[in-house]
Amino acid sequence: MKRLAPALALLVAFAAVSLAQPAAAAYPDRPVKLIVPWAAGGDTDAIFRPFGIQIQKHLGATVVVANVTGASGTKGAREAKAAPPDGYTIYAMHDYIHLTYYTGVAGVKYSDFDPICSVSSTPAILTASPKTPWKSWQEFIADAKKRPGQITAAVTLGSTSHIFPALVERAAGIKFKYVSYEGLAPRMNALLGGHVDLGESNLTQKGKVQAGQLKFLAIATEKRSPEAPSVPTLKEVGLNIVYDVTRGLVVPKKTPGAVQAKLEAACKKAAAEPKFAADMALQGTEVRLLDRKGYAAYLKKTDDLSLNKTKELGLFKAPKN
Amino acid sequence: MGRDGAAGLVCLAGSLVLLWATLHLSKAPLVPIGPAFYPRILLSVSAGLSVLLIASDFLRRRRPAAREARYRLVVLTFLIFGGYVFLLSPLGYRVSTFLFTLILQAVIEPPRGGKGWLRVLAVALAATAVTYYAFEIYLFVLLPRGWATGF
Amino acid sequence: MFSQLLTSLAEVAQLKFMIPLVIGTWTGLIGGAIPGVTITMTIILVLPFTFGLDPLQGLAAMTGVYVGGCAGGLVTAVLLGIPGTPAAIATTFDGFPMARKGEPGRAIWLGTWASFFGGLLGAIFLVGLTLPLARFALRFGPWEFFSLFIFALSMVAGLTEQSLLKGFISGTIGLAITVIGSDPIMGAPRLDFGSEFLSGGFQFLPVLIGVFAFAQIMTDLEKAGDGRRLEAQAAPDLSVSHPAVVWEILKRPFLLVWSTLVGILIGVLPAIGSSAANVMAYDQAKKISKHPEKFGTGIPEGVIAAESSNNANVAGSLVTIMAFGIPGDAVTAVMLGAMIIHGIQPGPLFITQQPRVSYGIFAAYILAHPVMMVLQWLSARFYLRIVTVPKAILFPVVLVLCVVGAFALNNTVDNVYALLIFGVLGYLMVKFGFPLAPLILGVILGDEIEKNLIRAIMTDPDPWLFLTRPISGVLLALSVGSIALALWQHRRTQARLAGVEPEAEADF
Repeated sequence: MKRLAPALALLVAFAAVSLAQPAAAAYPDRPVKLIVPWAAGGDTDAIFRPFGIQIQKHLGATVVVANVTGASGTKGAREAKAAPPDGYTIYAMHDYIHLTYYTGVAGVKYSDFDPICSVSSTPAILTASPKTPWKSWQEFIADAKKRPGQITAAVTLGSTSHIFPALVERAAGIKFKYVSYEGLAPRMNALLGGHVDLGESNLTQKGKVQAGQLKFLAIATEKRSPEAPSVPTLKEVGLNIVYDVTRGLVVPKKTPGAVQAKLEAACKKAAAEPKFAADMALQGTEVRLLDRKGYAAYLKKTDDLSLNKTKELGLFKAPKN
Repeated sequence: MGRDGAAGLVCLAGSLVLLWATLHLSKAPLVPIGPAFYPRILLSVSAGLSVLLIASDFLRRRRPAAREARYRLVVLTFLIFGGYVFLLSPLGYRVSTFLFTLILQAVIEPPRGGKGWLRVLAVALAATAVTYYAFEIYLFVLLPRGWATGF
Repeated sequence: MFSQLLTSLAEVAQLKFMIPLVIGTWTGLIGGAIPGVTITMTIILVLPFTFGLDPLQGLAAMTGVYVGGCAGGLVTAVLLGIPGTPAAIATTFDGFPMARKGEPGRAIWLGTWASFFGGLLGAIFLVGLTLPLARFALRFGPWEFFSLFIFALSMVAGLTEQSLLKGFISGTIGLAITVIGSDPIMGAPRLDFGSEFLSGGFQFLPVLIGVFAFAQIMTDLEKAGDGRRLEAQAAPDLSVSHPAVVWEILKRPFLLVWSTLVGILIGVLPAIGSSAANVMAYDQAKKISKHPEKFGTGIPEGVIAAESSNNANVAGSLVTIMAFGIPGDAVTAVMLGAMIIHGIQPGPLFITQQPRVSYGIFAAYILAHPVMMVLQWLSARFYLRIVTVPKAILFPVVLVLCVVGAFALNNTVDNVYALLIFGVLGYLMVKFGFPLAPLILGVILGDEIEKNLIRAIMTDPDPWLFLTRPISGVLLALSVGSIALALWQHRRTQARLAGVEPEAEADF
């Protein structure tokens, strides 16, 4: 082996040279990895894939969506947190991160990242199974008051789909029985089959409502949505709840300011693309652009809300670090 | 004790260690049965089956003779693969894959003479370059970059 | 209904749709053949290229990937004994021994033709039974799914000839692997002994590749060493009499139809997918066979069952997205995403409101099969090369591909470590005579079993519901029956084998 060592070293050098890409100074000079912590085909993925296409035009580098899945989305968060803060790893975040932190699932907090911009907001709709007898919100509430703790709600425990019905529960003075269904697809499946009564969904389920396979009870927006004008808002029925899931981009802390500014500028232009708005409309989602400052303030606000809610629901667990 | 008895003992030990670990699990809020419920059932079943396997090994009179096999290459390959896996992060995909394909080829079939070495080198280089280009450049799978080499 | 299908067939047969279909099928064949690169991954890679296309063109390409991927997986399964995709796990059981016995051509073409017939038969069901089947699947609540998974496990644990007990232990090891990591309900870390690596749990794919790739490669390496050389196999003859192969399949119409049905039913039910369908169909074939002991030695029935079921499974999952907009497995989840990006929202009204697209997908699915046959025939020359590559080159390259595949699954090196761990485990299990199929099924079903158990209890704490709900009760009764049948078959085989020294070599 001794004689071989120099030859080997030479070969490694050769391989290094032949495989290396030309080095350049300006960011970005190689593909940027966009970590989506959920599976391909899920709602977060469906928002960031079209967004990736738009932002790479304005960033001037390929943006590769990498689905780093596992451990309820926290594997991706951990990976993003540990990535070198050079702007080549960006993380697709949604409001869930506060909840996994306060339920003690993962030691990653929103403040482990620097916000770049928010991208989209998906309003929540309280949705019922076609097998339920209610024809309106009023009938639902009357029934729920009569049978506390008997109406089943499909939720991902400790996630946004859990917080939303919990807000309704508290405001309307009713009580649900929670059943764990992780993710929108299994939840809708259970609603369609009548295995549970209620769940959170969004405007992507409009087709099923038109076909009589699901029922929208109320939407958690300020005003009625033009996409579903017959669905009352929670405010109309007397509950002061506006709830949506906001998604945005963040980078690991200590990413250079110039890189952050560049990403922010590209993000703003990408979110303004009419094609992106059209793509989002298909996802039952609105484009919601907040800049670095605005997104930071928003994150702080939802963080406080999440802390309160997890404590209220008895889900709070001392965060591990 | 035969082959089955040993395997049964290992499975039993594994089940018991995991069962012991379920004792530390706290009850989950809202879920009536908690995160330890299902693992306990499962691990009790596997512990029971392991005991049965050990018992059946003791009750059996005839034992199949183990077939002769050479383990030198097997162990070496596992070691080399292990080295590859653990060097992937520090050295990066390109360097570690090149080294791995080079060394493993040479170990499985020691090259004869200069021509043999040349072939081994060529294959290692080609395998690395082709997979790298195919996946990273064409298929957009960003392969690991080494934290020690930055490459 | 069928007139609309004919219109769609004529439309999709145009060059405009055939080009993406052919490219998709070809990509699927290659992706499927690389161990570790799944159909899911291939379809994700194809996805961005379909954005610029007309929706039906894009969906034709993806349907092609799906069908081609199943066929590609079988090539690796037959020639290397490593399933190229999870859909080809059971193909290794008989396809690989058949190839080792010197009939790789027969094995590949039996599988390909079985895929072809299974796929087309599946298409008939797809068109005719979409709605009633999907409606039936909706009746599956958590109790039914739980019982179905138990049934699947009970069947597969009985696959092994050597020891039923070891089959069950292998299954429970698979289930135990999924218990480690985060619990599937709250995501709370569990049994991770404080390690961050373990707290993420294990993905199914690295377990699958690790177990099969190493079990296969290491068993080959045992025969070498100490200066002995591993000879490359002599160039095998892939030429085969096609009429004879086709006859081999068609003379077993019951087997073909039954495996196809199993494939479709598993496909229609969300959450299981093709990885389980082929193993379950294989087990069914063995249960109804007159000579179950010959399974695993390289007989045509095994190949036919596995391959016809996995293509039919594609038809089944298409049913579920078309009828409900609910993905049956990861592949259809990506296809669903693609439809939504193109502005198509599948759901109950999809087939009647968008006949052009829905029947277009049916048509693309049907046309993908002849395309797949032609491409397979064109690539046969290339497969020949794979087998003649010296092992010293082949093994390192296959292992590198496994590493890339495991890594690319969710872009983390953790999966590569898992590959090593399960490589060692798989090899040891083979050495100690444990079958690998139950382990794999255990890993596939583990989380789902637990989730559905907990869902059932959260919905209604009454445990008797598992028995009193009719579908669930029947499935549990079938599980008991399946185990009893396996015990009886096992006893019969043992009696027949009495006096013969059992072979020490493991079957997997």
